[in-house]
Amino acid sequence: MRQAEKVAPFYFGSPDKLLFGCYHEPTLGRRRKCAVVVCQPVGHEYINSHRALRQLAARLCDAGFPVLRFDYYGCGDSSGSREEGTILQWLEDVSTAISEVRRRTAVVQVCLIGLRLGGTLAMIAAAQRADPESMVLWDPVVSGKSYLDGLLRLQKEMLRFRPKPSSAQEPQGYLDVLGFPLSRFLRAELEKIDLPPIAGSPAKNVLVIQSDQTAGEANLKEHLSQREARLEYQRFDAPQIWRPTSDGSLLVPSQILHSIVSWTNRVHR
Amino acid sequence: MREQAVLFGEVKSLIGILTDPPIRNGNHPKPAVILLNPGIVHRVAPGRIYVRMARALAAMGFVVLRFDFSGIGDSAVRYDNLPFDKSAIRETQDAMRFLEATRGVSRFILLGGCSGARISLQTACCDPRVVGAFLINLQLTEDEDQNSDQITRSAAFYYWNFALFNLKSWYKLLTGKANYRNILRALGFQARTQFASRRKMSAESIQLAANLRMLAERGARVTFLYAESDPQLNDLREAVGCELKQLCASGKVRVQIIPRSDHTFSSLHDQEKLLKKICVLIDAITPATAGALNQRQDRPPQSVEETLPQHGGN
Repeated sequence: MRQAEKVAPFYFGSPDKLLFGCYHEPTLGRRRKCAVVVCQPVGHEYINSHRALRQLAARLCDAGFPVLRFDYYGCGDSSGSREEGTILQWLEDVSTAISEVRRRTAVVQVCLIGLRLGGTLAMIAAAQRADPESMVLWDPVVSGKSYLDGLLRLQKEMLRFRPKPSSAQEPQGYLDVLGFPLSRFLRAELEKIDLPPIAGSPAKNVLVIQSDQTAGEANLKEHLSQREARLEYQRFDAPQIWRPTSDGSLLVPSQILHSIVSWTNRVHR
Repeated sequence: MREQAVLFGEVKSLIGILTDPPIRNGNHPKPAVILLNPGIVHRVAPGRIYVRMARALAAMGFVVLRFDFSGIGDSAVRYDNLPFDKSAIRETQDAMRFLEATRGVSRFILLGGCSGARISLQTACCDPRVVGAFLINLQLTEDEDQNSDQITRSAAFYYWNFALFNLKSWYKLLTGKANYRNILRALGFQARTQFASRRKMSAESIQLAANLRMLAERGARVTFLYAESDPQLNDLREAVGCELKQLCASGKVRVQIIPRSDHTFSSLHDQEKLLKKICVLIDAITPATAGALNQRQDRPPQSVEETLPQHGGN
């Protein structure tokens, strides 16, 4: 059986804030002159979409792209506790990952692919750095307030068939969002997110994938259309893979993965 | 505490994170702990609970490896035709071999939730290097109905155990404000699972009872941990109730229930309770399994309570 990728798990970044990464190295066929950095969502959305993003990395690698998937500080296998995550820190982590993939591959061009809050972080980081060549925003969080409302709705739904926790059981200073603590500080940071005004011009080529009716979606589309970026907008009738499923399965939306890989192929011929 | 990304296995395709304690005692090393995938969720586990567990156990002096079985998380798929139950046991043994070679540990405690619990038990039965197993919400039967809808399962438990004794719930029921469809679905589910589990249990019960006896004779400590709302707890009691009582009385097997929690320990409070329970229990079995009851030179660097983050930490 042919192995089109070699996966190397490793830690990188500053010694006091080590980040976990999985580097997918193409081993067969043409190697592209563009490396891909995958920016994952956070909290329960990270757990639910891990399988799909791992498969996306494998498919991109199959097409010749070196790919780095990584966990933000305080998330996944990276160092730090769950409460330590902040938007500012995660933006720094995106930059650290871009530098790391460039160092590993000696390739200058970088494509950022971000799902949900990962898309938001990718877009803000790219606008700040102004160096990523291309970007895929997969159901990005456009409005932090709507995102928080959605999380709290989901938490309420989950509590529907559970004995309600007594006040003594409730965590101090944190909101429990499906088993992940949401600190007051992070909540305040999230509330400030309003993507169009803060995003600037993220990259030369941008693909927006939308499978969810997101608040502020029209604004984002309008904002990006006014930029110099070559924008492609695709809407899918696909499951929202970041949401918990009733049977605990982890979904992989093959059509969306296929679309991302073929767009990336076209942009980086 | 130090975390290291590792690759191991027959073709070095299994990906894991090795968490080393800050200090290790070479003379009386503790067994290493291996955390097995809870279902198809990768080695971080829901709520990042495996990361917290690994760090807390490493702070107590254990070497901890959490890794992905092939085809789950970051590990590559296998290209042979081995069924999952067999490949998972083989890969758990690969993990043991890896820890023997790199950390010089020859005794192991396996811990897993859901299907990870089943693999822990099966591996413990066939490999004498396993001196302890923590089986979280072990599923005794492969009943599709029970996997199919966790929401209905939670609803059934909620109605039977809480709503039934709650005046507010009765008021809603009698004033037409309740969701009758949900209630009927949950009651139907409860009835179906009762029948199904009784039908399929006997062969599994005999096997489970024999396995538990064998592990007890070998000196391996088995701990069942169940979320109170997990219906599998009733299955366990029905399947090996008498045997279980005897084994529990002899101290070889323990059954611990995490009150008011659900299958995936999906609240911070539930996670806290689970983590605390595991740290206390694992610390209690370690001296016996190490054969060094009276000469514990490998005291954990801090007490269990001290190593646990106050809330949600890690």
